[in-house]
Amino acid sequence: MQVVEYAVFFGAFTWFVVTVQNRRRLLAVTLTGVMVVTLVGAPQPAQAQIGLLQAIQAVLNVINGVIHTALNGINTVRTAMNNLQQTVVWPQQLINQARAQVTRMIGLYRNLMSNIFHIRLNSAPLPNPQALEAVIRDHQVNNFPSLTSTFASTYGAIPVTTAANPGDRAMSDMDDALALDNLKTLKAGDQATDIELQSADAIENSASQAAPGSTPFLTATAITSGIHAQALTQKLLAAELRQEAARIAHRNTLRKENATNTTTLRGVLVNLLQHQ
Amino acid sequence: MTGLTESLRTAKSWLFSHKLRAVILALVLVFTAPWPARAQLLSPCCALLVAGLSSIQSALTKVVGGGLNQILGVDKALQQFQQAVVWPQSLINQARNLVGVLQGNYNQIQNLMHIPVNSATLPISQQLEQVLLSRNPNQIGQTSGAYTALYGPVPPPTAASPQVLNMVDMTDAAALAAMKRAIEIDALADLELQAASQLNQSIQAAAPGSAPIVEAQADAWLIRANAYTQSATADLMRLRSIDLANASADIKMGATNTTSLRQALANLMQHQ
Repeated sequence: MQVVEYAVFFGAFTWFVVTVQNRRRLLAVTLTGVMVVTLVGAPQPAQAQIGLLQAIQAVLNVINGVIHTALNGINTVRTAMNNLQQTVVWPQQLINQARAQVTRMIGLYRNLMSNIFHIRLNSAPLPNPQALEAVIRDHQVNNFPSLTSTFASTYGAIPVTTAANPGDRAMSDMDDALALDNLKTLKAGDQATDIELQSADAIENSASQAAPGSTPFLTATAITSGIHAQALTQKLLAAELRQEAARIAHRNTLRKENATNTTTLRGVLVNLLQHQ
Repeated sequence: MTGLTESLRTAKSWLFSHKLRAVILALVLVFTAPWPARAQLLSPCCALLVAGLSSIQSALTKVVGGGLNQILGVDKALQQFQQAVVWPQSLINQARNLVGVLQGNYNQIQNLMHIPVNSATLPISQQLEQVLLSRNPNQIGQTSGAYTALYGPVPPPTAASPQVLNMVDMTDAAALAAMKRAIEIDALADLELQAASQLNQSIQAAAPGSAPIVEAQADAWLIRANAYTQSATADLMRLRSIDLANASADIKMGATNTTSLRQALANLMQHQ
């Protein structure tokens, strides 16, 4: 459409140029024609250029405005989070300090406490008690027969059938059995305590090199160690309960026998007085 | 054809005689004709577009690219910090290995606690000992029979004073309850050892983020274990309280008996 218009106007312009008479008129026709033909022939989408400029400017505005602000905001937040993690939550200096403290406390206490714990407590001067004491304090569970024999050497054997009534023999056997049971349990308990101490040392050693991310494993396993320790304590308490219960049961049996004997004696005395 | 030749000849002669007009027409045609967009680089529209796109490229490079690079830098620093300081894989593996090593220790403890310690030699005491060391709550019901067989029943009412009978009955009850509690506690301790081993296996398979969950459960178990320990300690204290009360009752009855005996002797002397 624009080309057709241009052809029409350019034809008219040509006609004027050809037919004009003098140079003044030719100049006027030329100028007028140039202006008109320029207007007709000039590229129409001048408006589109303005639209393109506006569009480019709009994109630039978005980039320099919203996106720039958003990226700055994200950067600020992430930088703050990074700083927070490195300076407040997991500061390297305090992590190293904590590790150093663990190492320092290991140096301060471990050997000291171990030495105190391993002081020899054996005190018996006579051979039989000495042998028994050695067995009950050796933290071993593979020498129970030695325990039984040294116990019998020190405390004697159960009276033979003819030497005591069945009740006393049974009670004496039960007392000895519970004492031996507990001494065996204590030997096992001593060995378990040694293992617990080894576990505690291993956990503490690891803590001296741990990172915040590996510590949950150590704390969790330390707690399970605590459960084991509690279970062990309960086993020892159960043994103590059995022993104490047997002790008062024994004394109670003596009380029962005393009551029976007193009644019998009273009967005998009454009979005796009646015969007099 | 002849006409065309004639026209061209006329135009030629007109152009030669009107050179200025011909030049004007040519120039106007050249500069004002709406030429198709052949050379884009020379087009003002394309130049504008190129300039605009360059600006956008520059803005994207500086503003978006620069900003993203800064964020990437921060993220890389954060990632490196977390990998090297907070969650180092090597230390996490080391901790997991330790958990495995400790599991071996726990197994040893569990085995130690299951070593048979039975020592009684006579049938009647063997029976009670077997019940007491059974770690089986289902055998609690057999405790009373085995206990009475060994330690005897409470004497009949005619055999002792009510005071003595009460004391004997209470002492037997406390001793029996303590023995039953010992069986219970043994069984509970076994279950705790099992649970602790299970928890430890869970810790070995856990991630640093899930280990605290297992830890929380282990904490709960520890509290429970403490409660059972306290319960056993309470029973031990009850037993010792009964023992102390018995000692006290012995003194009281001894005093009463002495007074009665003195009175009886005085009466006897008066009658003689």
